[in-house]
Amino acid sequence: MKRSIFGRFWPNATAVILFAGFAFPVYWMFATAFKPTGDIIAENPVWFPTDVTFSHFKKAVDADHFWTLVVNSVTVTVLSVVFSLVIALFAAFALARMRFRGRRGLIVTFMLAQMAPWEVMIIAIYMLVRDNDMLNSLVPLTVFYTVMVLPLTVLTLRGYVAAVPKDLEEAAMVDGCTRGQAFVRVIFPLLAPGLMATSLFGFITAWNEFPLVLILNKDVEKQTLPLWLSQFQTAFGDDWGATMAASSLFALPILIVFILLQRKAVSGLTDGAVKG
Amino acid sequence: MKRKLAAAIVIAGMMVSVSACGGDDGDDSGKNAGPDSFKGQTLTVWAMDGSTPDQWVKDVTAAFEKKTGAKLKFETQKWDGIQQKITTALSESNPPDVLEVGNTQTPAYAATGGLADLSDLKQQIGTDWTPSVSQSSVYEGKQYAAPWYFANRVVIYNKKIWAKAGIKDTPKTRDEFFKDLDTIGKKTDAEPIYLPGQNWYFFDGLTIGQGADLVKKDGDKYVSNLADAKVAKAMEIYKKYASYSKAPKDKDEATPQQAEIFAKGKTGAFIGMGWEAGTAVQANKAIEKDLGYFTIPGETADKPESVFLGGSNLAVAQGSKKQALAEEFLKIALSDQYEGELAKLNGVIPNKKSLETNLKGNAVAEAAAPGAAVGGTTPLIPEWGAVENAPNPIKSYMTAVLNGKSPADAAKQVEGEINKRLAQQN
Amino acid sequence: MSVQTRGTDTAGEPAVRKAPVPAPPRGGDRTPGAPSRRHAAAPYLLLLPALLATVVLLGWPLVKNGLLSFQNLNPRQLIQHLTEWNGVDNYREVLTGQDFWHVVERTVVFTAVNVVLIMAVGTLVGLLLARLGKRMRLLLMVGLVLAWAMPYVAATTVYQWLFAQRFGVVNWVLDRLGWHSMADYNWLGTQTSTYFVIILLLVWQSVPFVAINLYAATTTIPKELYEAASLDGAGGWKSFTSVTLPFLRPFLYATTFLEVIWIFKAFTQVFAINEGGPDRLTETLPVYAYVEGVGNQHFGVGAAISFLTIVALLVITSYYLRMVLKQEEDEL
Repeated sequence: MKRSIFGRFWPNATAVILFAGFAFPVYWMFATAFKPTGDIIAENPVWFPTDVTFSHFKKAVDADHFWTLVVNSVTVTVLSVVFSLVIALFAAFALARMRFRGRRGLIVTFMLAQMAPWEVMIIAIYMLVRDNDMLNSLVPLTVFYTVMVLPLTVLTLRGYVAAVPKDLEEAAMVDGCTRGQAFVRVIFPLLAPGLMATSLFGFITAWNEFPLVLILNKDVEKQTLPLWLSQFQTAFGDDWGATMAASSLFALPILIVFILLQRKAVSGLTDGAVKG
Repeated sequence: MKRKLAAAIVIAGMMVSVSACGGDDGDDSGKNAGPDSFKGQTLTVWAMDGSTPDQWVKDVTAAFEKKTGAKLKFETQKWDGIQQKITTALSESNPPDVLEVGNTQTPAYAATGGLADLSDLKQQIGTDWTPSVSQSSVYEGKQYAAPWYFANRVVIYNKKIWAKAGIKDTPKTRDEFFKDLDTIGKKTDAEPIYLPGQNWYFFDGLTIGQGADLVKKDGDKYVSNLADAKVAKAMEIYKKYASYSKAPKDKDEATPQQAEIFAKGKTGAFIGMGWEAGTAVQANKAIEKDLGYFTIPGETADKPESVFLGGSNLAVAQGSKKQALAEEFLKIALSDQYEGELAKLNGVIPNKKSLETNLKGNAVAEAAAPGAAVGGTTPLIPEWGAVENAPNPIKSYMTAVLNGKSPADAAKQVEGEINKRLAQQN
Repeated sequence: MSVQTRGTDTAGEPAVRKAPVPAPPRGGDRTPGAPSRRHAAAPYLLLLPALLATVVLLGWPLVKNGLLSFQNLNPRQLIQHLTEWNGVDNYREVLTGQDFWHVVERTVVFTAVNVVLIMAVGTLVGLLLARLGKRMRLLLMVGLVLAWAMPYVAATTVYQWLFAQRFGVVNWVLDRLGWHSMADYNWLGTQTSTYFVIILLLVWQSVPFVAINLYAATTTIPKELYEAASLDGAGGWKSFTSVTLPFLRPFLYATTFLEVIWIFKAFTQVFAINEGGPDRLTETLPVYAYVEGVGNQHFGVGAAISFLTIVALLVITSYYLRMVLKQEEDEL
């Protein structure tokens, strides 16, 4: 009996402490954003914003072109996630379900591609985009973000496709479906959690990307939110209320996407999320 | 024409291979064109944060659009990362047509071939440009930019806080200034001065005051001279100033914007450009009535502290396809009327002596003028540009000294980096 | 069928061989429904878009980067679109300078420290998740997901605020706990303390991925295995080492591989916290490549460093890649 209480207490206590540790920075960001400046630069921290203000948010949103940047960020992120999922799904199906020459080489190719350190190649990318007259456009951004997340998406989805019992597919084919139909009717629905889980990676990557857009798009109207956030922070680095409000606005969409997708995602991750 | 041809041959000879930019073409095509031929075009101008007051932009735009029929678009640029931005922009097929370039950077950009030769324009409108300020734009005998305005740092202070500390007069010597800062620290709860550890242009002014050089010749190349005792002396003065500030030792005056901090009304003073007062007012309207300015005091009352003469030039991108239109813009923007207006509005020193009358009664300019008389710049050599690239080794030197390293050790620590950058091939 | 496969998986074959196969069902059934010859082209067609996109859009910059690394490329050449080949000068400059080797050393240590911490903490948290009751698990999960979802740029900003010299909450807490010298401590003032902040940030960001996935993986361990183990008289620790760990091993390999890559090439976090400072002492290879290439406008040298960065990453991960190659071979 004693042992069981003991056995319960410590895991639970640890869980609470860990929860606090992981959630606190996020909480502190939102809390600071809502606090009046006097409470932010107080000798003793104000732990809960009692005196809520929206002035910091106003300052953050006030930036020129803010809404244009929001639209740009959303466009680029959603498009690259969708493209990468569609392209990757075909590839993942082939890699997981078919046998053919060169399969091994292809898998390793994707693994290698996933290692690409994009940030260190930005001058090369810049020169390519420049010489093709594609600067100040959302197209190269979308395309490169798609490719950035593609390898991991392929590898992850491969695991999910493989995890769908083959018997189901075969049963469908026995019922007269073609292989394609079997895929659409049987496998695809089962893959939904996998697709969601995989899309999270794409969302984070594309939403966060920063060095590339900095060098490619000088036209403010073609920039994205990470640039706005970093410039905002450079100029108002000392104004933590405004900086945290800006960070909150930037983080919010991703937090929402995660919370929406997370439940499905975690159940889906079970089978093959991070397989190599 | 012949002169031009000769120049073209020289330029072509300099290049290993001639690129297909063909920026020169535009130069002639638009030369004799009347106003109507510009219709439908838009001229893009990059100006730095703080350079162009709203009223000036409005007036110049109106005059420009009236004269040429073309549109004018100002794009304000942030200082952070500006060098890479300008470099890449100049390489593009559609660069900004006119751009503001800091005087310390101009020689480096002139050497890249990215700026159009404005020697002809100087013949037309620039014969009375103040030679000392026009100098930074001349590279290998040609004028690569037009001097726009000059400014130097002053002390911007909060009168209310100084009054609260019981100080009646602004200081005339450095020691008096230190004493005042001390008093503010003791008698008020304000921070006496906001001086981050890496306000390197202020430091540059101090080195000029000590008669120190940042680089020296070693054979045919430049090397760091940071280990010089005079530089160390300048750094000691800086350190003394910084001791009255709680500002971070590893940040410069733009991160965060020092004016934003001053605007909160809890800072006695800061060392900044005149336009930064405007930034402060924009952040907090209430601060306006408390603003005061004075010349940075020197060792003795008869000679103020030397300052870095920060200047900005207007250059035309070599790759711009609107060379003629760009020249039209420069003629308007640099005309006596608008050059004078800019001087008046921003309290900056105009590019001609004759226009300095615009500064009468301008508190900032009156505080700045004595310092400008004993001002100087960074070394005006193309190699210098690379030294100021982030992370600027001189800023590292400053932080190191403020954190307790001896100037000699700190100099030793960064000299390798400075020499590497000075030796960087173009 | 698949349970059986899992069973053999855990039976103690050499770890390397089965390492990267966390998804057991695939091994199960092979015989029926083999594609007819007519469809021989199908896999290639399905793979074509992904392959094409990767090869063109990744391969092209890689090749371009490779070419640039043999050029003298500074603002003048960039602006005038000049191509000046300079042989291996850039590589010579980089490899003979001592900076580069310091950075390499630092990057390797940095990656190792981070990955070890992330894997250790992540595994422990994952196992804890498996032990918790439903409600507590949800609570902890929420905390993890919040940290996981925070965009890097926002997260670095928040960490700068947490560790701010003035009014930063960390300094306040340390002061309150009696460590008064920390009241106005400048975390970004020294190499060690800057690294502390960066590592904390990276661990905080990365642990959720490991923990949540590891927890998910543990839920797939068949109960029978534990029953069998306990019949053999295995206690808690024994059943952990004989059942849980072998089952999770492939997963741990794969995750470690991913974390090594992610940490090694982490750019935004390292750069944004303190721009590689103080005095360039926290620059890792990607940051070094960026500062030398883009920041210092020495683009050819930057390209050479990035090429070397890629080589270094390949060397570090080669062990795992070999394993995968071998394993995929076995499977076919």
